[in-house]
Amino acid sequence: MDTLSRRNLLTTGGRAIAGAAIGTAAGSATASASEPVLSPEALASEAEEQWALLFDSTRCVGCRACEMACSDANELGKSPDDIFEGRGVNDARALAPDTFTYVTQHDVAGMPGTAVFGKVQCMHCIEPACASSCPVAALEKTPEGPVVWHGELCLGCRYCMMACPFLVPRFEWHSRNPEIRKCEMCYQRQQEGERPACAEVCPTGALKAGKRGELLQEAWARIAERPRDYVHHVYGEHEAGGTNFLHIAARPFEELGYRANLPTDSYRSLTRPAMATIPYVLNGLGVVLGFTAWIAHRKHQLTRDGYDEGDEGREP
Amino acid sequence: MKSRAQRLTFSPGIAMLVGLAVGGLLLVIQRFRFGLGALTNLNDGYPWGLWIGFDVLVGIALAAGGFVMAGMVHIAGRERFHHLSRPAILTALLGYLLFIGALMVDLGRPWHIWRALISWNHHSPMFEVAWCVMFYTFVLMLEFTPAVLERLRLQRMQRWWYAMVPFAVMGVLTLFCFAMTGSAMWAGITFAVLATWELAMRTGVMPRDKQMPILLIMAGIMLSTLHQSSLGTLFLIVDKLSPLWYSPLLPALFFASAVMVAPAMVIVEATYSARLLGRKPEESLLRDLASGMPWVIGIYLFLRILDMVARGAVLTTMAVSLQAIWWWLEIGLLISALAAFITPAVIHNRTGRLTAAWATVLALVVHRFGVSMVGIRVPEYPTYIPAWSEVLITVGIVAAGLLAFRAAIGVLPIYGEEAEGALEEPALVGEPVTDVVGVIPASVLARR
Repeated sequence: MDTLSRRNLLTTGGRAIAGAAIGTAAGSATASASEPVLSPEALASEAEEQWALLFDSTRCVGCRACEMACSDANELGKSPDDIFEGRGVNDARALAPDTFTYVTQHDVAGMPGTAVFGKVQCMHCIEPACASSCPVAALEKTPEGPVVWHGELCLGCRYCMMACPFLVPRFEWHSRNPEIRKCEMCYQRQQEGERPACAEVCPTGALKAGKRGELLQEAWARIAERPRDYVHHVYGEHEAGGTNFLHIAARPFEELGYRANLPTDSYRSLTRPAMATIPYVLNGLGVVLGFTAWIAHRKHQLTRDGYDEGDEGREP
Repeated sequence: MKSRAQRLTFSPGIAMLVGLAVGGLLLVIQRFRFGLGALTNLNDGYPWGLWIGFDVLVGIALAAGGFVMAGMVHIAGRERFHHLSRPAILTALLGYLLFIGALMVDLGRPWHIWRALISWNHHSPMFEVAWCVMFYTFVLMLEFTPAVLERLRLQRMQRWWYAMVPFAVMGVLTLFCFAMTGSAMWAGITFAVLATWELAMRTGVMPRDKQMPILLIMAGIMLSTLHQSSLGTLFLIVDKLSPLWYSPLLPALFFASAVMVAPAMVIVEATYSARLLGRKPEESLLRDLASGMPWVIGIYLFLRILDMVARGAVLTTMAVSLQAIWWWLEIGLLISALAAFITPAVIHNRTGRLTAAWATVLALVVHRFGVSMVGIRVPEYPTYIPAWSEVLITVGIVAAGLLAFRAAIGVLPIYGEEAEGALEEPALVGEPVTDVVGVIPASVLARR
């Protein structure tokens, strides 16, 4: 793994540079403004200690107790009837201002009678597209891991919704004071030492809360232990630069409705190069425009000196 | 000269514009009473629609005439075009003010807009957009101030304005650079560059522009360049955009197309303004602008095609889909405009020139709609098509803009020969200011 060691080396160098950058970025308005640029590996290693969730599709029986617990914990106002009655898990559903998560059911091709389950919710990316794109840092990647929304900052521009590769943030279209709504990994509960509501209530252990590094190890251990029961992929390990919500399953993830073939770089890396050019463009223009103006006006000055006073402004 | 105020008669055309503007306002009230969902077809899969596509992306691009013309006159020294630069600055200012108004309608929580000043996220292209809008609007106001001061015959104020503006520019741009980079070093460099030029001018080493502080024009170009391109940067993180439009070059393409549309818009505005005011349009100037059009269209078209080839996206244009047709529509309009502008007969013909300019403007509209609406597909959600109320609110905003422009060219000295109250004394040590801000001296005009 010599590429890895080279990357580690770069990471170390990157941190040194980042440290220097913090030094020059004196007094930035928010913590995120002075946040150094870290490599994906460096970010992943920082995320190791962060709160995370592991979803094991092979253990999920589709009971949707997590949905009920989520509604109760976040006061989404759903009754058991709303969640358990009248609909099957495989009914088409979607995230909504009052639905932060739901369980999906998928038939397996060629194996009638068997079903596999998926879970849809905010992925809590390590370097989230939403937090990267939010102009006022209303969406924040907390140091603990969850991505949370600060209503007192949000403008309602909905750029987070355009940016999110998982189509997660939801907007209250019919409200006068609309909010951006999504799973916050029970940030409040976890700060009080409790587990996220969905993981706490899960009766089969399909959902497990823990630190990302440990959960990732456990995910690969489960796959190694029963290699024929799993696809050899931890969804969220590298997707979109890595997420704090990890998934393992028996079937390829696109069959479970997950977006396949996502880039392994974070979405912030899509805008980072363009954003990095700003000071060069700004100051480069400052220099070039000044010289151009100097030359042009000097030319006029010289031309004018050869003519009458009234001739200024005329092209030579 | 006739009293300018008399020309503001209440014609059927004006009545119609007032009606459209009032209609739009009524719908805006409904939008704030019942939320965005009540009046728009936006949904969670398509959170941006016509208001972003037209009011923001097209509106800002069409305001590019302001910085391009100001730069041509005061930086590149093409003083002939002086005549056209003040109307272009007025259009840009009105465009930006209307754009801010439209943005307030589109934002879900517009009362938090001031948070952008204190809660910084310099990773966000939208943060760059927000700051560019605020600061460039401020710069445009400063650029337009002379026209107002002239009308009020406040010569002393004008001199004061000329002396103070460079300091305002230095402060604003330094703060801007610090916000964008979070780096005191970069902000210091910006300050140093600007202060060096100003010092050179104040000591007489570098010649000054007699009508506009050069720093102000520079600030306009610097902020505009970033603003135009940042609107493209916005979409770099939107991976739902079709390869017909998505490109790492989006910022450059947005900037190039804005520069392309700037002279075209000036041709359109000058032609219609002349008609409105019963004057003859500045034929020779417009002809010169038109003869430059093949260059700006050519550069953009070349970039656009080169980008498609380099990304290997050429084959997607051959698909039979609305998206591919939309792409060909843009290219077709660009090619026809290019063909028209390289034909001398068209450039010399007022109608031909106007039509070709409109084709260029339309090509830009098609491109921006492509990026913001046609090119975005989220299969899980019903495809977005603007609702009538969205269209009517946009129409109302445009009508309000036309009314404001009509009122301004009637009341303020926008076109050259109407300018009065020129400064006669030196504003500063150094060269005398013989002529005011934005206008060609009457002696030069008389000779023309």
